[in-house]
Amino acid sequence: MFDLFTEGFAMAMRVDTFLIMAVGLFCGMLVGALPGFTTLMAMAILLPISFFLEPLVGIPFLLGIYKGGIFGGSIPAILVSMPGTGAAVATSRDGYQLTQQGKSRKALDMALFSSVFGDTASDIFTMLMIFPIALLVMQFGPPEVFSVLLMSLIIIAATSGSNIIKTFIMMMLGLWLAQIGTDPLGGVERFTFGLFDLRSGIPLLPMLIGVFAIPEVAKVVMENTKARQLASVMGERLSFAEFRRCFKTICRSTVIGTGIGTIPGLGQVVAAMMGYSAAKNASDTPENFGKGEIEGVAAAEAANNAVNGPTMVPLLTLGIPGDNVTAILLGAFVAQGLRPGPQLFEEQGATVFAILIAMVFANLMFLIIGYLSIPVFSRLVTIKVSVLIPLVIMFAFAGTYVFRSDSIDLLMLVIFGIFGILAKSAKFDVMPMVMGFILGPPLEYAFGQTVALSNGNFVGFFLTERWGAMMVLIMSPLIGYYLWQRLRKSTA
Amino acid sequence: MNSSFIRKPENMFALVCLVFSTLGFVFMGALVAKPKVLFGQSLTAITPSIFPSIILGLLALLCLAHLIIAKRNFVPSNEQGIIGIGRGAVFFSIMTVYGLVLVPLGFIISSSITIAVLSWYTGNRSKLQIALIAILAPIFLYLSATRLLAVYLPELDVIELAISRLLG
Repeated sequence: MFDLFTEGFAMAMRVDTFLIMAVGLFCGMLVGALPGFTTLMAMAILLPISFFLEPLVGIPFLLGIYKGGIFGGSIPAILVSMPGTGAAVATSRDGYQLTQQGKSRKALDMALFSSVFGDTASDIFTMLMIFPIALLVMQFGPPEVFSVLLMSLIIIAATSGSNIIKTFIMMMLGLWLAQIGTDPLGGVERFTFGLFDLRSGIPLLPMLIGVFAIPEVAKVVMENTKARQLASVMGERLSFAEFRRCFKTICRSTVIGTGIGTIPGLGQVVAAMMGYSAAKNASDTPENFGKGEIEGVAAAEAANNAVNGPTMVPLLTLGIPGDNVTAILLGAFVAQGLRPGPQLFEEQGATVFAILIAMVFANLMFLIIGYLSIPVFSRLVTIKVSVLIPLVIMFAFAGTYVFRSDSIDLLMLVIFGIFGILAKSAKFDVMPMVMGFILGPPLEYAFGQTVALSNGNFVGFFLTERWGAMMVLIMSPLIGYYLWQRLRKSTA
Repeated sequence: MNSSFIRKPENMFALVCLVFSTLGFVFMGALVAKPKVLFGQSLTAITPSIFPSIILGLLALLCLAHLIIAKRNFVPSNEQGIIGIGRGAVFFSIMTVYGLVLVPLGFIISSSITIAVLSWYTGNRSKLQIALIAILAPIFLYLSATRLLAVYLPELDVIELAISRLLG
């Protein structure tokens, strides 16, 4: 293994690899920073370019877009509360509040440093642990996936707010919205009301922009807020003392993100939410979360970027993409003649290590490019409300439309915007709803497969054959209850 | 239930969810298609209505629990409703119209009109500034999206032709 590593290291030390990664990082950040334009979209569009490049140039290019895009998504999340990617949803909570307090530079710096730290640490972990982790993940079946997804939902609900019933109501609403369209198991229509446009379900992007960004803009319009409340000055840079204060949180989130990244199907969104929730739980001042707590930005960003490296574990060892972005990477690997699976390490072990080493070096460039480009993107906040609001609306509509080129998405955006403002007025948090919506389909799929595997004896199957998954199922409500009690006591 | 209890936004929200989930649960048979059957046997281990039934059932129970607890702890107060509802209605009307005309009028024209209207509505009184952002921003975004990122944004043939001629 060490021979493969040293051979891979030599292979990765190429100028063209580093140059193209830098281009990928910049493109990723640029697209991620455009509200509504996703990393997924950028990767899908630029995927064909990688086909015409060598594997050690083409794949690092896509990895650059991936890394840059995830961080880039935090820029509009912090500046205008419009998450550029789903992974930046948790960041927008405190990031936007910091912007409103005139501390956007601090928030962006923290997002960058924690992203780079989380990314680098998880990449090194990936390199060291790819073989043993692959062995463990290979044991995962539908019951384990079901248990882990259910546990994620319970923990998120328990830590999202003090009123657990309201949180669960929103989560159930999200899970129900995910049922609209075609059933993932049987392929039959559900809750489409005969409308053709609903057959493919509700797309995530109009929902994300609708419930997170539009209510923020609508609030400014409804309250007739004058200029400078939505916009704000850049403020001071992040101090070393502030970074050191958040270091424990960053490390915790990195561990959470790394763990989640190894499990297919969970991805950055879950990692960011869980990292954020864990930080809130561990904090002495959880009441400050959601009101401009810099630790909230650090927790979410470190966790979502820490997912990037470990998602390569199931992808490279089993050929299972952890999310839709890694599905594109899978396409790039196959097009390059590198078929992911256990045999890849035997046939192309050095190339795999070269790619993983390139990922670590990409983080260094990520830090430099990100640090230099922050002021460019941050100019957004100096725009007047009367200029910013129309531009945000235009970006929201353009971003929503280009995703599927379907005009029904624009109406969904408006509907979710109205829903978002109503939920906000009723003091219902929309984040659990979005989580339910994202995790609903894989949860149902894993549930269906588990029932099929159990031959109707669901409980007996778990007790006799899947005790690991059973333990997770038993522990989940207990963990959830403990976290909820802890949160309630600390906010009382 | 007294009217001030129901008028409270969070109780109203829970009540709407309760009604909607109960209706969904009751009419599940009509809202979910029958499962596919091959030689009299279902093709999947669970029917398509099982998971939604669990979700809607839980949703109804949770809403009911919320309303019962809220009723028990209810203290009448002069809490303000949604602030600026009129301005919000105008704002969402503008967005709805934008969503409806974006495809037929094309991205540049519809965005220009929307930007101009919204900018004026949110307090901008500088005609020059309104005109500049209303014209330049949609053109810039359209060119960036279609030429740089190679994604599709709806546009009228005449404008697309003019842009192609200008850019060569």
